[in-house]
Amino acid sequence: MLSIKDVSMTYQKGKKEALKNINLEIEEGEFTALLGQNGAGKSTLINILAGNVKKTRGAVSIGGYDIDKKELETKKIIGIVPQDTGYDFIFTVDEALKKQSGYFGIKDNKEYIDEILDALYLTEKRSARIRDLSGGMRRRFLIAKALVHKPKILILDEPTAGVDIEMRHTLYDFLVKLHEGGTTIILTTHYIEEAEKLCKRIVIIDGGKIIADEPKEELMDAFSRESIIEVHFDQELNLADFDFLNDYHPHIEDKTRLQLKASKKDLSKVFRQLSEKNMEFTNLVVERPKLEDIYLNIIKH
Amino acid sequence: MKNRIFYNRVGFSTLLNKEIHRFMKVPVQTVLAPLISNILYMAIFGGMLQTREVGIEGISYLNFLVPGLATMGAIFAAFQNPSFSIISQKFQNTIQDLNSYPISLAEKILAFVFGGMFRGVLVGVLTYAATIFFVGYEVEYPIFFVLALTATSFVFASLGLIAGLVLDNFEKMNFALAIVITPLTYLGGVFFEISKLPGLLSAIKYINPIYPLVNVSRYAYIGVCEGNIVIHVLLTMALVISSFLIAAYIFKKGVGIKTV
Repeated sequence: MLSIKDVSMTYQKGKKEALKNINLEIEEGEFTALLGQNGAGKSTLINILAGNVKKTRGAVSIGGYDIDKKELETKKIIGIVPQDTGYDFIFTVDEALKKQSGYFGIKDNKEYIDEILDALYLTEKRSARIRDLSGGMRRRFLIAKALVHKPKILILDEPTAGVDIEMRHTLYDFLVKLHEGGTTIILTTHYIEEAEKLCKRIVIIDGGKIIADEPKEELMDAFSRESIIEVHFDQELNLADFDFLNDYHPHIEDKTRLQLKASKKDLSKVFRQLSEKNMEFTNLVVERPKLEDIYLNIIKH
Repeated sequence: MKNRIFYNRVGFSTLLNKEIHRFMKVPVQTVLAPLISNILYMAIFGGMLQTREVGIEGISYLNFLVPGLATMGAIFAAFQNPSFSIISQKFQNTIQDLNSYPISLAEKILAFVFGGMFRGVLVGVLTYAATIFFVGYEVEYPIFFVLALTATSFVFASLGLIAGLVLDNFEKMNFALAIVITPLTYLGGVFFEISKLPGLLSAIKYINPIYPLVNVSRYAYIGVCEGNIVIHVLLTMALVISSFLIAAYIFKKGVGIKTV
C-alpha cells in the first residue's frame, strides 16, 4: 500500500540531513504509529508523502503508484491531517468540505459529508465559519477534510494535540471504526498511550533514521523481559531485610511496598524465596512496562 | 508523460469557483471600492481637466479617460485576486493544501489566473458601465474593448500569481502595489498622453507594460490611441504569453508552496 525505499532528504545545500535512508513498507489495513521526538523527521516524512517537501533521494510509491511519475493518482489514495490547524478565514465548514470534495473530482458529496460530520460531532457546526470553531473542533474539521474523498490511507500528524480528553477518546473510537472499515492509518503522536491503545505496529524515528519497526506486541514482549513486581505487605519494611533479593534491584515504595525488577521466568523464584523467609505479603502485582517506558528506553539508547 | 495537462475538470472548476467565490464574498471591498474610486477619478479629474490639453487632440477628455480608468480598474483587481489569495493561504497556513489536490499544474495555474482575470474584467466592465452616466454608452469596437480588458486582466492576474508566490506577506505585497504597479499605471497613459511628459518620463513608456495595454483599450473604445495600434496589440500578445509562462515556471518550481 505504501512503500518508502532509501528515502533521504537534505537541506541547506546538503549540509543537514532531515531523513537518512528511510525504508518502510506499510501493508493495506495496517494501523501504524510513527513515533519520535520533535525534529526526529516524522513530519518531514509525512510532508514528502503529501508532496509538500521534495525528497533528495529514494523512491516512494503509494497504492502502487510512484509519487514522482504518477503524482496525481497518489493524491487520490491518501488523506492527510496536518499538524498545523491552518484554516480558511472566509468559508463555513460545509462550504470548505464541499470545495474539498470538488478538488478531488467529486461533484456531489453531500451524503458522505453528512456522514462524516455526524461521526465527528460537527453537524451542528456545519454552517459556522471555520474561524469561529474551537481548537478541538478545528482538529475534527481537519480530519473530516482529509476524509471527504474516502482515502485508502489516512495519515494523521498529531491529530489530538490540544484536544480535551473526552474528545480525544471520541476520536479514538472514530479512528478504530475507520480502521475496521479497511482504512490504512498512520498516526504520529506525542501521546504514547494513544499509540499503545490504537496501533498494531510501532515505528520509531530518531535523528532522521528508523531505529525501531516492530509489531506492537513483539516490541512490548521484547522489552518486557524485566517486569516490575510489586509485593504489598501490611507492615513497614526495612530494605536490609531483603538483601537475598538483591539480584532483582529491591526498592521500597511508600514504606509497605517492595518493588523488584525481574523477568517473567524469575517470578516463581522470587515467590519461593519470599515464602522460604516466611514473609507474608498481602498482594503481588506484576506490571508490564508501558509503551512509553519502552519508547524512552529505545530513544535513550 | 508524468501527468496529463488537464486531469481533473471538476477539481479545476472548484478551484476556479473558489477564487471567484472568495472575492464575491466581500464585494464591497473587492468590486465596489475600486468602482467608486474610478467614478471619483472620473468626476474629479474629468471635471477639472476636460478643458486642458492632456488627452488626444480632438477627443473629449472624458472619453479619453474612460478606457484608461477601466484598464486601471482591471489591472488592480486582476493583480490583487491571485496575489492576495496566495498570500492569505500562506498567512492561514493552508497553502500546502494545494499540493494535496489531484489537480494538474496547468489546471491550478489557470484557476488562479482565470479567477483574477474574471475579477479584472468585472471591475473593468463595471467601470465602463458607471461612466455611461458621464459620456454615454458608445464604444467604437465593443468586442475588441472586452478582449482588451480580458488580455489586460490575464497579464496582471499572471503577475499577481507571481507576486503571491514570491512574496511572503501582505506588507511586501502592498509595497509592490505602491512602489511598482501604481507608478507604472500612472505613467502608462491612464490619465494623459505619455508623449506629453517631459524628457525621461516620456521614455518610460518603452519599458512600461501598462502602456500598450491602456492604448489597446483606448483604441477599442474611441478608435484612436497614442502610437501604433498594431505594435500595441503585438506587445499585448507578447505580454499575455510571457507573463503566463513566467507564472507557470515559478509555480512549477514550487516557489512559496513547496520546501525544496
